Amino acid sequence: MTAVALEATTASDGNTAGRVGIRVGAAMLGAMLLAGLLVPLLSEYHPNELIAVPLQPPSLQFLFGTDQLGRDVFTRVFSAVYRDLGVAFLGVSIPLVTGTAVGVLLSVSTSRVLVAFVTSLIDAINALPLLVLAIALIALFGPGLQSIIIVLAMTNWARYARIARTRAMLVKQQAYIEAARLQGYPAWRILLRHFLPNVSSETIAYGLSDFILVIMLISGLSYLTLGAAPPTAEWGAMMSEGRPFVQDAWWMTIFPGLALCWAGISLSFITEGLSRRERGGP
Amino acid sequence: MPGGRRMEAATTPDEASPRSGAPIRLFLHQAWRRLLRAAGVATWVMVIAFCLIRLAPGDPVLARLGPEADPVAIDKLRRDLRLDVDPFTQFAEYGWGLLHGSLGTSIETQRAVIDIILESLPVTLWIIAVTILLAIAMSVPIALYVAQTRRSAVPYLFRASTSVLLAIPAFFTALIGLIVFGLHYEIAPIIGYQPGFPANLRFLWLPALVICTHLVPVLSRVLHSSIVETMGEEFVETGIIRGIGRPRFYWLYLLKPSLAPTVVLLSYMVGVMIGSTVIIETIFSLPGIGRSLVGAVISRDYPLVQGCVLVFGLFVVGVGVVGDILANWLDPRVGLS
Repeated sequence: MTAVALEATTASDGNTAGRVGIRVGAAMLGAMLLAGLLVPLLSEYHPNELIAVPLQPPSLQFLFGTDQLGRDVFTRVFSAVYRDLGVAFLGVSIPLVTGTAVGVLLSVSTSRVLVAFVTSLIDAINALPLLVLAIALIALFGPGLQSIIIVLAMTNWARYARIARTRAMLVKQQAYIEAARLQGYPAWRILLRHFLPNVSSETIAYGLSDFILVIMLISGLSYLTLGAAPPTAEWGAMMSEGRPFVQDAWWMTIFPGLALCWAGISLSFITEGLSRRERGGP
Repeated sequence: MPGGRRMEAATTPDEASPRSGAPIRLFLHQAWRRLLRAAGVATWVMVIAFCLIRLAPGDPVLARLGPEADPVAIDKLRRDLRLDVDPFTQFAEYGWGLLHGSLGTSIETQRAVIDIILESLPVTLWIIAVTILLAIAMSVPIALYVAQTRRSAVPYLFRASTSVLLAIPAFFTALIGLIVFGLHYEIAPIIGYQPGFPANLRFLWLPALVICTHLVPVLSRVLHSSIVETMGEEFVETGIIRGIGRPRFYWLYLLKPSLAPTVVLLSYMVGVMIGSTVIIETIFSLPGIGRSLVGAVISRDYPLVQGCVLVFGLFVVGVGVVGDILANWLDPRVGLS
């Protein structure tokens, strides 16, 4: 039937399509990182300097126009690259490390009370939408990019811990763990050399797709004025500043938004390509 | 014709689940266990909501009133928030209040938190309901088409376009929607809300459509892959050979056996969605619970923040239970644990 035909045609191209996806995504991401490095260096304007007549439409002099204070949107969009991606990197890598560690330790822990306690805590954190929990915690820490990193470190680990634990439970039953134990290796060595590489491949894969979600979370919080505060050049904050002027000065919101989409799409091509190469088909 | 109906039923996929005797007891047993687990998670959500205020580094009262506040005002707020007694008494009072349907009093408006929530929750529920209906109406045809098409380019196009859509933040789509439909064509109101069906649909269709740009890709992908899996089953071939009528074939042979994973996912996605309604409600100025939460966070109205978080959490837990039980009913092969 159709299903059979479908599988037959896609399995063979899966690899090629995957590789194309990874290359396109990496090129897009590389271009953005390069522009984020070069534009602030080469631009004659400072991202926070008031240099021109406010609310000018895009022109050759100001490629993305100017904002309500007369700052160059082009310079601002690109000087935000490392800020947005950097905060997102921290927001992914810290929970990735702690979550993986917690998950692995849970799978080998012998204390049933501790396991039950931590597992239900993980369930509860995962039950709350990440954005809701993040917003509520920002009420405590106050708005700012730093608080976003703290909040993500406090909440996002639970998702990694769940994945790591499920994976580690499978790893635990593998023969190579048994073999390592019989050879008399100390526990830390088994954890670091045998558990960790096999578990972290799974959590890193999730981390890649989580990167997109975290970028959106950071810019979304900034859009709600709970993240980066003006005059910081950050995509979500810039869009939120442009919101009152959206009718006349669309360039203030559209260009930071497009930068956000560019980053998201490049990452999604990479993750999509990687997962397709692994499974060999869409 | 009861006899004829039974014969027919025996050859449809439904045959896998004769709902009588032991299976029902098993179903009830599993449902009960699922409920117990949900109750455990709900308790934890309650504890987290309770701890939110108390976790604050430094003093939440000072954070709200500022370092140079009047000591009398500080004392009063501390007493109003019940932060002057020990945590166990606080927790007991909080739990006792919950049992009586009380979530405390908002600092900002001096109104009961439960009233504010009951006022804004229906708006959010309407957004979610309209979004789900729209998403199902779009995902089912898309998934059926992609699963059955013979053009090999379609699955790739489907895959690529869904991943692009998923990578575009909803609040950007929302702003574009506002510019295009609200300001340029003026077919969507950009501000205000009018309760009551069907008047509210005028305000809800665009926000729902925006959330659908994230929901439809996920739903249609999962539905697509489970339809492809179903198409490999023998009963589908049997259905084709027996020449079952089209609508019947689509529903009983293709969709119903494929729906279970989608339903589980949908109930999970409702949880993710209720998170994105926070941003969407703010952009479209809809007076839902998400906007209440953002307002409460900005004004540091802790009891309201706590109440909103609790309601969000309980809602997600509840939807998860409903989704799992519904999926088990649709396809008993799906376990409830």
